[in-house]
Amino acid sequence: MGEDTDATPTLNHRGFLPDHNYVTEADIISTVEFNHTGELLATGDKGGRVVIFQREPESKTEPFSQGEYNVYSTFQSHEPEFDYLKSLEIEEKINKIRWLPQQNAAHFLLSTNDKTIKLWKVSERDKRPEGYNLKDEEGRIKDVSTVTSLQVPVLMPMDLMVEVSPRRVFANAHTYHVNSISVNSDYETYMSADDLRINLWHLDITDRSFNIVDIKPANMEDLTEVITAAEFHPHHCNLFVYSSSKGTLRLCDMREAALCDKHSKLFEEPEDPSARSFFSEIISSVSDVKFSHSGRYLLTRDYLTAKVWDLNMESKPLETYQVHDYLRSKLCSLYENDCIFDKFECAWNGSDSVIMTGAYNNFFRMFDRNTKRDVTLEASRESSKPRAVLKPRRVCAAGGKRRKDDISVDSLDFTKKILHTAWHPNENIIAIAATNNLYIFQDKLNSEMH
Amino acid sequence: MIMKGQKRKLPPEDMEDRSSHFWESQRQFVFSVSLNKYQRSQELPEPSLRRSVLIANTLRQVSLEASRAPSVDWEVSQSHYSSPSSLLALSSVPLVPLSNMSNCATNVHLPVKDEDEDWGSMSMDSDFSLSASISSILTALDSTMDAGPRTPLRSLENLSAPFEGGVAGMRRGVGECGDQQGECRAGSSYLTDLTVEDLFQDIDTSLLEKDMCVLGLRGGASVASDELLRYLPPLSSVSASQPFPFSLNQNFKCLPSFSSFSPSSSSSSPPLSPPFSAQNHVKEGFELEHLMEILVES
Repeated sequence: MGEDTDATPTLNHRGFLPDHNYVTEADIISTVEFNHTGELLATGDKGGRVVIFQREPESKTEPFSQGEYNVYSTFQSHEPEFDYLKSLEIEEKINKIRWLPQQNAAHFLLSTNDKTIKLWKVSERDKRPEGYNLKDEEGRIKDVSTVTSLQVPVLMPMDLMVEVSPRRVFANAHTYHVNSISVNSDYETYMSADDLRINLWHLDITDRSFNIVDIKPANMEDLTEVITAAEFHPHHCNLFVYSSSKGTLRLCDMREAALCDKHSKLFEEPEDPSARSFFSEIISSVSDVKFSHSGRYLLTRDYLTAKVWDLNMESKPLETYQVHDYLRSKLCSLYENDCIFDKFECAWNGSDSVIMTGAYNNFFRMFDRNTKRDVTLEASRESSKPRAVLKPRRVCAAGGKRRKDDISVDSLDFTKKILHTAWHPNENIIAIAATNNLYIFQDKLNSEMH
Repeated sequence: MIMKGQKRKLPPEDMEDRSSHFWESQRQFVFSVSLNKYQRSQELPEPSLRRSVLIANTLRQVSLEASRAPSVDWEVSQSHYSSPSSLLALSSVPLVPLSNMSNCATNVHLPVKDEDEDWGSMSMDSDFSLSASISSILTALDSTMDAGPRTPLRSLENLSAPFEGGVAGMRRGVGECGDQQGECRAGSSYLTDLTVEDLFQDIDTSLLEKDMCVLGLRGGASVASDELLRYLPPLSSVSASQPFPFSLNQNFKCLPSFSSFSPSSSSSSPPLSPPFSAQNHVKEGFELEHLMEILVES
């Protein structure tokens, strides 16, 4: 990874809105997700829209040119709503998108805003019936007297049309803001988690859900912890994990009880007393949790680190990776400007050997678990040209030795944050959301995972 | 250079003073920033629960650490608090866990006549009051679902009890979306000014005037506090450092919207058409503010 030439990523840049120089708030990408084959990539934005990209099949003329992602479909998933009881507007921002495994020709995805989850069907239409007896080509009703013979309508090819239709709307089940959705491996159920509760749904039933976790205290004054993320185990349909703002992970088994408030396993790293500060709790808040593809490990992200946990070891993480430890001395100012509350996501590669997460200044980091090497890369228009190899970046602590092209901590742009990243399920292709731009990087030389 | 006969100072003590001064200044910085953040987030229509909980926890931690380090320079902390925060934070009250304090917590921001004299005894109290104000901040969370013995909200609590039962029943099996709706309104008022309702249930100025004398008392903490609670419910969850009239104005901002869901939220006040009730409430509110200003000046 990083400096090795055999695994240098190349850039295949697809700007989300390449011609715009300004950032429209509604265009800020809020979630990125590959589907299970990696053929489709969905992004959701603050304006409630979903854009799906499709990978072009590899062209036979250029065997080394991997398929590029082009826009496949765009639709408005959620609209701003008004809650009349509380006189509050419900944001249409898409918080999460999760694909369902493909079972027929159509693709299904779940998208959610703060309150409502929707199931969308994405299907292609490339044929249409022609030769109606009662309608003419434009659809106008024919005069019956002109019909002299009958014909059977036939399906003729037409230009490919992608149709998106809402199939289910799962509403009114969350008092608090939905932060996660996760499809179960049984392909029948899924869960949605808000700050205090997790609900279990059946994909076909919209008017009811089961509450499986409720951490709301009887007295809200006693509230000190909220749920920050939740995910089902990739293989065991009875297991799921949820993370909290206090840095704990709870693995729950749905077979044990209907209400899974009592965890089966509690993963918590004891606090290091020497590193204690006023912000210890805030920076320990887990912003994302992801099972490895194998189901054996958990990847969590808190403000300064990414941790890999072994499901069999609750006492401490297996590995801890410092994402941007140079910020540790700046926590006070980061608290003041609210950056300390940023929720970064994290991702595994297909073989669970590399983990990736975002940082500030449009930097993102990858850590190879086997070689223990890491790299910092930048996702920005200026530093990347199409087909150019990404140059590793370095952040030097203030006062430290400074090499050419190094960025000093004080010149980091904290408004440019990479919160959402995704990794192709099989290949070394990554999608990085940088504010309103989407970057897709491919590892040209080693396209298959290793 | 140590003169003969003079006691040597232990070096570790010296270092501790220096670092504790830095620590204290950082603590105060964190405290003031947290307070500001919390207030600003309260002004938002729907603040993020995670953020609010983290800020509240930080505030709590900051105040607990301050009380754990009495060697800290009290002058510094005194100057920081421009007005005494709570009259319930009396020197006779021992430091109790926040959850216990929540029931007697109040944000009565009425300054006492002899505040300057009592400042010495108030210095320890400033952190109790801090704890009190923090817990009252959290009190604003979902107050309708509380089972607490706060009189002004009793009618409200009775109304919300069926919802509570409904929630419990939901856990065992199927969740009705209707119940969620009801809970929706109450449930996410974590940071809404439900205390506005309190204002209008107890606008009895005669009682207020009577209790002004009570406020001057420094002893008999818990009894006085209950009495106070009855007549002066928590007016807002705004911090200690905010002057009273300001926090009232904050409450007024949400008057129209509050009255719009009055049918289930209050059994005592008749459902009014929103514009009329808004005017009415604002008028009453301004009267109260005027009254408070008078009290402050006296």
